Amino acid sequence: MSPVIVILSVISAVLALTMLFTRNAITSAICLLGVLIMTAGIYGLIGEHLIATIQLVVYAGAIMVLFIFSIMLLNLNTEERDYKDHPGAFAGAVALGLGVFGFLAYALTEHFRSHRGDVVPGPFTSEYVASLGGNSKVLAHSLFTQYYVSFEVISLALLIAVVAAVVLAKRKFD
Amino acid sequence: MEYFDFLQLIAKILLVVGVCLGVVPVTVWFERRGAAWMQGRVGPNRVGPFGLLQPLADVLKFIHKEDFVPKNANKFYYYLAPLIALIAPLCALSVIPFGDKAIVGGREVVLQIAQMDSGVIFILAFAGLEVYPLILAGWASKNKYSVLGALRGSSQIVSYEISMGLSLLSMLIVYGSFNPHEMVSWQVEHFWGAVVNPFGALVFLISIFAETNRLPFDLPEGESEIVAGYHLEYGAMKFALFFMAEYIAMIMASALISTLFFGGYSLLPGMDFLVSFIASFFGFGSVGTTNVTAVFQFVSLASKVAFFMFLFVWIRWTLPRFRFDQLMDLGWKILFPLSLINLVVVTLGVYYFNR
Repeated sequence: MSPVIVILSVISAVLALTMLFTRNAITSAICLLGVLIMTAGIYGLIGEHLIATIQLVVYAGAIMVLFIFSIMLLNLNTEERDYKDHPGAFAGAVALGLGVFGFLAYALTEHFRSHRGDVVPGPFTSEYVASLGGNSKVLAHSLFTQYYVSFEVISLALLIAVVAAVVLAKRKFD
Repeated sequence: MEYFDFLQLIAKILLVVGVCLGVVPVTVWFERRGAAWMQGRVGPNRVGPFGLLQPLADVLKFIHKEDFVPKNANKFYYYLAPLIALIAPLCALSVIPFGDKAIVGGREVVLQIAQMDSGVIFILAFAGLEVYPLILAGWASKNKYSVLGALRGSSQIVSYEISMGLSLLSMLIVYGSFNPHEMVSWQVEHFWGAVVNPFGALVFLISIFAETNRLPFDLPEGESEIVAGYHLEYGAMKFALFFMAEYIAMIMASALISTLFFGGYSLLPGMDFLVSFIASFFGFGSVGTTNVTAVFQFVSLASKVAFFMFLFVWIRWTLPRFRFDQLMDLGWKILFPLSLINLVVVTLGVYYFNR
């Protein structure tokens, strides 16, 4: 593992903790943005340029813009909103988080322990992908041939979401 | 990573960043002189020959100004915004090829900083990141006009990204690749992208004017209505960073449109003759010829970029500023459907010719 990856991981861990513990909503959003960019950097360093780029386009370039936009528009004057402690809700959230984490950790370790022998690497080794003309070409090819139907179904679902958003917003403005 | 690889990477980064940052003062001078010329004025002509040292004097002034921060500003984001503004376009420049290849010490050097197979989407990614400095600067400086400028700027950039992306997509269908090198070699073999897809080139040109916040789309700054928009509260070198970022974004956009639609680093007509003449005059072998070709490829990309920079200045003093609703109408009701239709037409054309 290259030292740059370690540095990026440490930075993203620090940013993630800051995101969790800060009381300023903007700082939280910017830290999440930083985490996403650092993750994109890690993807790029292990040679998955396409994933890194898509991470930047979709998460950093689109979703986080929406987050920051809405935070800034909603509380323009009071940047630190009054936060009331609800001890019961907090304890419940912590318990739920720990429970989900424990379950996932148990499932993963159990899976790796019991199926260690029969992990078979798929056909797409990095040499094979390079011989087919690079990551993006292979992805585009399988997306538009093998997974064509699911691609279209997802685009239809997104279209429905867009129309629904317009309908909901329009009712409010009329 | 090998020693040679590391060294050539550093050299390429230094070349690109150095050229871009070094060209900015000249562009500022050119913008002011060009503005003066188009308005029948003289422009800056006192400092140095033809006023060429004027940017230097401006920089000195910027450095010696008071580093002022508004009282209610959020200091951290106030300082962060100009940095992001400068970094995002510089990062995007890393995937633009400025030549085919050079041969140094018997080793091939690809004249592009980051060779990745998703090259052009990477540029889109960083074009998307250019929204952040606007929002952050407008919000952090706690000024109504700044917030108005930031809102205008971000909604404008987000809206025009769509038509920009669609015209880019039509060119991706034509070239069949994300790789800028392959795009340029396609254009060398066939025609320039602007000949194949003139409407896409036009939409892309309009969109990059909106993306770089230049007139006639400079509503985020709109001096007559909201003073200076998102960088109203910025002074001294922090304002200079925004100013430089605008010019670097212009250089990036010009390089991008030259690569996509105008042949990129491919030699301008007549230059291949010049290359062969120089090679035979000095008796170069194949190595020397490759290197001379690389130099001329850089020159031809630079001259294309210079033309588009001139176009930026030219249009700035030709067209008046839009009203904001007109801008949104142009983006959403005209450019977006038209580029969508254009995409369908280009797809059908590519299908017909590749059949």
